[in-house]
Amino acid sequence: MSAAVPRAAKRLRLAPSRSWVCSECRRSFASSVRQRQQQPGQEDKTTHFGFETISESMKASKVAGVFSSVASNYDAMNDFMSLGIHRLWKDHFVRSLNPGVQYASVHDQQEGQRILDIAGGSGDIAIRMLDHATNINKDNKTHVTVSDINPDMLAEGRKRLSATSYQADGRVDYLEANAEDLSAVQSGSIDLYTVAFGIRNFTHKDKALREAFRVLKPGGVFACLEFAPQLSNPLFNAVYKRWSFSAIPLIGQIVAADRDSYQYLVESIERFPSQPEFAQMIKEAGFLIPGQKPDGTSIEGGWEDLSMGIAAIHKGVKPL
Amino acid sequence: MALSYSSPTALQPPPYREAESAILSSAIKHVPVHGFTQQALNLGAKDVGYLDISTNLFPRGAYDLVLYHLVTQRLALKHRIQFPEGQSIGVGRKVKSLILERLRANIDTGVLPRYQEALGLMSLAENIPSSLRELGLLSDEIWYLAGDTSVDSSWYTKRASLSGVYAATEVFQTTVDQSSDLKDTEEFLDRRLEEVRVVGSAVGGFGQWVGFQAGAFVNLARSKGVRI
Ligand SMILES: C[S@@+](CC[C@H](N)C(=O)[O-])C[C@H]1O[C@@H](n2cnc3c(N)ncnc32)[C@H](O)[C@@H]1O
Repeated sequence: MSAAVPRAAKRLRLAPSRSWVCSECRRSFASSVRQRQQQPGQEDKTTHFGFETISESMKASKVAGVFSSVASNYDAMNDFMSLGIHRLWKDHFVRSLNPGVQYASVHDQQEGQRILDIAGGSGDIAIRMLDHATNINKDNKTHVTVSDINPDMLAEGRKRLSATSYQADGRVDYLEANAEDLSAVQSGSIDLYTVAFGIRNFTHKDKALREAFRVLKPGGVFACLEFAPQLSNPLFNAVYKRWSFSAIPLIGQIVAADRDSYQYLVESIERFPSQPEFAQMIKEAGFLIPGQKPDGTSIEGGWEDLSMGIAAIHKGVKPL
Repeated sequence: MALSYSSPTALQPPPYREAESAILSSAIKHVPVHGFTQQALNLGAKDVGYLDISTNLFPRGAYDLVLYHLVTQRLALKHRIQFPEGQSIGVGRKVKSLILERLRANIDTGVLPRYQEALGLMSLAENIPSSLRELGLLSDEIWYLAGDTSVDSSWYTKRASLSGVYAATEVFQTTVDQSSDLKDTEEFLDRRLEEVRVVGSAVGGFGQWVGFQAGAFVNLARSKGVRI
């Protein structure tokens, strides 16, 4: 089949969408954000874009390009990468965090929680958080701020959340921001900071972690759901790597006529730190890692592998 | 693995970090009213200035509260009982006193009426390895405090048989004898210790012990409505 057919299909899908913005506008938006943040003397630093090495200044706009081009079918992309189980992972992620104030009447906290969902464009995590707080913990107060660097993704989330009652109840709002600079969010104001399948795209992950630490209340929780670079079992790892490196970009090309974006996604996972390395980064930002021993050496159990380590959940608690 | 009864607690760093100790020690005070539950953990966290969400520090939730009780009471055992110097009390009698003293800690901390929940959590598949490990450490501690520091081929047998006796007696205490003087439990314990003495390695055999305990735990858990 020639590539022309899916390309036409893609155009058809995108054309009527309210959230469609011309890609040049998007790119210039992303680079204006980037320019405001850039420090003098950093112009020539390079970073990784998948396996390509590019100047740091280009990464944000390239990432923006990827997510703008996959915004309308990011679900399909996540399905390929997770072998279709990212929805279950998200369910588990939210259930394990147990958001919402249980038995709010027992103690005096009537406020509910303030949740900040970073890179939350799709609204997937926000909806699950609010569902859990409301249905499991009978908490009608807990509030989620959905934040994303990409206005197209944010519009996608807004569209989905406006179909729920949470929008009308004022339990959700939106913030367009780079996770590395959350200056719009007050220090010590957040109970729970979540980032699902987002952090591997950040240029400076350590900066994002420091921002997370800053905006959290003492006792607040950082939680991250992300693909991991290596499966625990070497045999499965080899099979999965073969799948992700050869099949996914190809599928990306066929269903979305966009091989490069999918290629980037696969490679960005490969580049992401291993579970022990990432746990160490979270610790260095100042967090307590669950399950760690007091001598601080062993960080076994500081994260939870999902589906043999295709993805992992990391958590950190900000000490008092 | 080193074959020794040296107190496993003597050289170890404190088992919990400051924040964990603070939250768990407050949470355990809520167990008499709220049981070994997530809610007890939440209330404990709030007592010391943490948030409900901070209980994510405990990956196993309510079971971490159970484990806290087991660990702290194992460590406290050596302070709960002092055998008079000079008098010769047999190792067997010391072992019996130590077991009873450990069981008394379940009463003194007020958790005994909720202890079935603890046993239920210990019997869940994902928690069995660490429950058994903690039981083994308690046996080591009891043999050590009783003055039996011999290292010989009967080590595994002794460890296993004491673990078996302790676990069975604790199940009896929890499900049958809730009196504060532990009279029935003491009689039950006497019979178990006598069995071990008479039948010896047949009961103490590790495989049999595991089988026996697994059966007992599963039955107990089923009776508490846990679906296994
Ligand atoms: C794969 S999507 C994940 C969306 C959603 N959290 C989910 O799990 O379905 C990754 C998101 O990260 C966002 N992102 C990339 N870099 C970012 C940054 N520096 N700051 C904030 N968001 C960013 C992208 O715009 C995109 O929406």
